[in-house]
Amino acid sequence: MKPRFPGYDVLQQAGSWDLVTAGVVLARLAPPPPLRFFTVDEERVARPLLDRLLAQDGPPEDESRIPVLEHIDARLAEGETDGWHHDDLPEDGEAWRRSLAALDEDARAVEGQHFWELKRRAQNRLLENVRTAKTWHELPASRVWNLWMRYACTGFYSHPSAWNEMGFGGPAYPRGYKALGLDRREPWEVREVDAEDPEPWARRVEAARQRQDSDHAAR
Amino acid sequence: MLPNDGSRTNHALRASMRRFDDEEELDLVVVGCGAGGAVLTQRLARKGWKVAALEAGPFWEPDRDWVSDEAGSHPLYWTEPRVIGGGDPVPLGSNNSGRGVGGSTVHFAGYTPRLHPSDFQTYTADGVGADWPITYQELRPYYEALEAELPVAGQHWPWGDPHGYPHSPHPVSGLGMIFQRGCQRLGIDVRVGPVAITNGRFGNRPHCIYRGFCLQGCKVNAKASTLITHVPDALAHGAEIRSGSMVRSIEIDDRGRASGVVYFRDGVERRQRARAVAVAGYAIETPRLLLNSACRQFPDGVGNDHDLVGRYVMVQGAAQTAGRFPEEVRMYKAPPPEVSTEAFYETDPRADYRRGYSVQCIGPLPITWAEHVVAEGHWGHVLREYLCDYVHWATLGVLCEFLPLPGNRVTLDEERDRHGIPVARFDYTQCDNDRALMRAGSQKMAEILDAAGAQDTVTIARYAHLVGGARMGAGPETGVVDRNLRSFAVPNLYVTDGSVLPTQGAANPALTIMALAARCADHLAGGAASA
Repeated sequence: MKPRFPGYDVLQQAGSWDLVTAGVVLARLAPPPPLRFFTVDEERVARPLLDRLLAQDGPPEDESRIPVLEHIDARLAEGETDGWHHDDLPEDGEAWRRSLAALDEDARAVEGQHFWELKRRAQNRLLENVRTAKTWHELPASRVWNLWMRYACTGFYSHPSAWNEMGFGGPAYPRGYKALGLDRREPWEVREVDAEDPEPWARRVEAARQRQDSDHAAR
Repeated sequence: MLPNDGSRTNHALRASMRRFDDEEELDLVVVGCGAGGAVLTQRLARKGWKVAALEAGPFWEPDRDWVSDEAGSHPLYWTEPRVIGGGDPVPLGSNNSGRGVGGSTVHFAGYTPRLHPSDFQTYTADGVGADWPITYQELRPYYEALEAELPVAGQHWPWGDPHGYPHSPHPVSGLGMIFQRGCQRLGIDVRVGPVAITNGRFGNRPHCIYRGFCLQGCKVNAKASTLITHVPDALAHGAEIRSGSMVRSIEIDDRGRASGVVYFRDGVERRQRARAVAVAGYAIETPRLLLNSACRQFPDGVGNDHDLVGRYVMVQGAAQTAGRFPEEVRMYKAPPPEVSTEAFYETDPRADYRRGYSVQCIGPLPITWAEHVVAEGHWGHVLREYLCDYVHWATLGVLCEFLPLPGNRVTLDEERDRHGIPVARFDYTQCDNDRALMRAGSQKMAEILDAAGAQDTVTIARYAHLVGGARMGAGPETGVVDRNLRSFAVPNLYVTDGSVLPTQGAANPALTIMALAARCADHLAGGAASA
């Protein structure tokens, strides 16, 4: 994926954030604590699951990787749910445990291997099956999918690296924003490289779709 | 009431707050300190009443507790366990609940439209919904008072009962410009406002800085919440705000009157005696409390003799449609509430549905924006590609007037919270009129965005707001409370929050809830509770 906001680093603005906000955001860059909620069996299913959902395909040692599993583990360990669960799905922690076990069961039944041993393409196939199923291991599939995506996106898109990728201005207190209006930026915001659309939006989405369907690792 | 030293909290006022003893019989104990509870508390404190508001959550200090960050704002919401079910389950939590002094006004967008006169008689005029036991004219003076107290900024309002606003409209961002451009090309009337965000300094409240985090609690103090408007005034007039106090039940004495509440504070069960009780816990917690207060006189829950408590809970159909534009929109700038239209608010005789919808600006931040893309079924590389394109997107939202239905209700679940209190279960299913309305509203948003030049649009079906569950009615067979919000079953028990609304219109409910609480305060101050 070509960077759309080359050189943009929202953390360069951290000095202008209020201390409480800076504390909360910068803590996400600190080394994550050891896992407390997920068992080892669950961890090795959850890591590739989250990598596929968020297309974090770099090697595990990649420093730009956003630690989403650790974020979810901390939330579940602390019981920080969204404050509701569906009547046909257990509470969030139990729903995570059951769905991870079910995903590995699928991997062994369909591919004869554990989920973490599969190539990306096979993992993606199993996931697309969950997304489009009605009932999955006696669970409402769309609600399991929603649970995964909800937790995954909150972990990923609360991280400054994700904000850099999307050009988001980030926290803005007490400084605020001055440049309101179309095609207007603060002096420190970076213009989107394809703003004049040399590569139309539709073609860009199509390319992403092909990336999703192909499996680089398998070739 | 706020200090002029640049800090956000009047510490002296809080430190000197009056503190009542549990044994002391208050004139009124209020359960919940959000839109309704805080206004009622403030009004009666000003009348010299001995009044305390018990609030389950914390007494916020914006400087210390709030952040300009989506995920970091999690503590603002009611996240204790709840179960959702029905044909179209409604997610709760961050979308429609608050916890802490100020309630959900802390993180509401700030849109403060009035209801229309037509909202008060939808059954007679449109054959759907319900008629209110009061008229718009009876509520109007309270709307006007609250608009001045918050205060509200916006252009002159041509819809419903036409009226002006005390503050002039805010400047419009890229998102608002897209909305205006689309409407202008289609000939749709559109206005800036109405938002409870000061335009210019207001006392010691500074000007809005357009940082876009209205839904995460306004650290600036520019957006009104009862935490910074009515609560400080209540304290200055001798009210107590008792935070960290989770009410378990209302106590009913042998004469069938409310004598106080049982609540937990620091894990200890306590009793606060009072001459009258007002419940203002919103559409989930208010019915839950009434049902959990079952006792000898009211075996099915207080005020539930006619099986009405917890019924007719409403959410607004709040689909959002986003459009992709060649220009950079950067919709995270400026308050998410900016521009709206109520041109489609009332019943259109040519349509196959009754009642209508409003359209407003919505500026989702990254995590919320991801929900839009996920709702389209995207994940992996396609999800990331859409998210990287964030600066090019503009989002509109509808508020569709979904109808009050008896089966859409709050009941008690087998599951219990950490205090051992049964948690609320909320079942919700749309009716055909709701679905038709949501389709029409979504289509209208797409038309507006297309007219503005969108290259692509995506729509997410969702809900907003929660009202009903203890509705007011003309008599005990049709309502839990009467036109003055007094319980039909218990003469000194009141419900003063959004759960009393018989219908919801297509307007954000906060201003109406405040106006109803202010009206109830006038009724109480007239000597009603001792009757």
